[in-house]
Amino acid sequence: MELTNETPKGLSTLLRNMPRQSMIAVLVLFGALGLAVVMSRTESILAPLWLLAMAAGFTLQRSRFCFASAFRDLFLFGSSRIMKGIIVGLAVATIGFAINMYSQVPFPGFGVLPGEANILPVGLSTIVGGLLFGFGMVISGGCVSGSLYRMAEGYVASWVSVGGILIGLGFLSQTWNWWWQFTISREPMLWIPSKFSLGYGGGVTLTLAGLLIAFLLFLWLESRSGLSVADIPRKKEPDDTLGQKLSILWSSVFLRGWPAVVGGGVLGVIGVLMYMVHMPWGVTGELARFSNTIMSTLNFAPSEAIGLSDLGGCSGQSDGTGLFTHSFAVTVGLLPGALVGALFASEFKLRFPRNPKRYAQALGGGIIMGYGAGLGIGCTVGAFFSSIPSLSISGWLFAFALSGGAFLGVQAIKRIA
Amino acid sequence: MELDVRGEICPYPMLKAVEAMKKLKGEDNVVVITDHAPCLETIPPQASRYGYTYQVEENGGAEWTITLTPNGGM
Repeated sequence: MELTNETPKGLSTLLRNMPRQSMIAVLVLFGALGLAVVMSRTESILAPLWLLAMAAGFTLQRSRFCFASAFRDLFLFGSSRIMKGIIVGLAVATIGFAINMYSQVPFPGFGVLPGEANILPVGLSTIVGGLLFGFGMVISGGCVSGSLYRMAEGYVASWVSVGGILIGLGFLSQTWNWWWQFTISREPMLWIPSKFSLGYGGGVTLTLAGLLIAFLLFLWLESRSGLSVADIPRKKEPDDTLGQKLSILWSSVFLRGWPAVVGGGVLGVIGVLMYMVHMPWGVTGELARFSNTIMSTLNFAPSEAIGLSDLGGCSGQSDGTGLFTHSFAVTVGLLPGALVGALFASEFKLRFPRNPKRYAQALGGGIIMGYGAGLGIGCTVGAFFSSIPSLSISGWLFAFALSGGAFLGVQAIKRIA
Repeated sequence: MELDVRGEICPYPMLKAVEAMKKLKGEDNVVVITDHAPCLETIPPQASRYGYTYQVEENGGAEWTITLTPNGGM
């Protein structure tokens, strides 16, 4: 903060005025960039995926983006602040994904699906997975991506949540084959451009129209809630010299939180870039791989999941062996990105919940959420934020189920003081 | 009235601030101390609903004070 109040006079003044957390931020940044170089020796596209995941983690931290609160706050008090950001991101990504999918599958009528797109089965598994996920994320206070970036900000309860998610994913791996035979094997993958003979134009138009309707619905909800945000009175900073202008730029990027709409838009662009490099963004696959590795180490390996590798989405991303895989890069990269964001803003702090109930909520919510993420083949990122832009019906059904789960979760947390 | 909600994450700080504003019915300030940045977005919109104005102060070390004052002052 001290940095913004005066014009830097030279390197020594700059260093003296630099908050300690910022210095650590620079070290983390260089460390993470160095790791990108190491990873690129395993496979060249790992470096851009890792850097994009870092950018995503930074964006989530800066805009305080939280998919869990986006759904929860609709029901809790009619606020759609983050939901509007999500819609902006989905709209940006829908157009970018369509261009990318067109280059892979120019003629959608033949029934071939673009390989890496998150077009997932539509059916009972989507609904049950979404309900469990929505309920769990509200109980634990954050979804999978939210818990990951809060881990990096120093929220100890989020470490417990991620532990819960790993346990939940483990339970799902052990029961996947039952679900496969019971329902998933018969569930269709509905891709709007091919299934309804709409082509890309129709698919994009329909998806954008759906987003517009959702946007208007949220505005209407908000107008009924009686919420209003007065502008926070802020002293006008002098912006005459280049130094002052740079300092204002620095503080609006690195110190002050970003508006949710900006965060959503940036995440949409990052999603498109990840897909252009290799695959849409998703974080469940890597955690599932991690969970399976732990179970194998404990001699409790799940039997091989039937059909899962043909489904694409997050599960298809957990490919490869060894530490540095595609899913490792897009998932673990969030952590240094969010840590750098938190450190530059001096927002890193180890936070221990004082109420012991919160640990139970983090663990229990995490387990339920993890099971739902495994069943829904993705979380709020893979099965929702990357799935709707893939012009897949599954993303919409998952979103409805998430809303239902979040509604139930809100009823539950109102009863947990 | 002071409300120290450090360590708590969304939605609890907001729910507790709302509860306090409801209980006090504009008879006292509510001073919320938090270390959860999203509260800076969730608590202020609630203020006007219960006839309060708000002020946000940065305490450094990832802590903030949100002072909710009844309309018309104290």
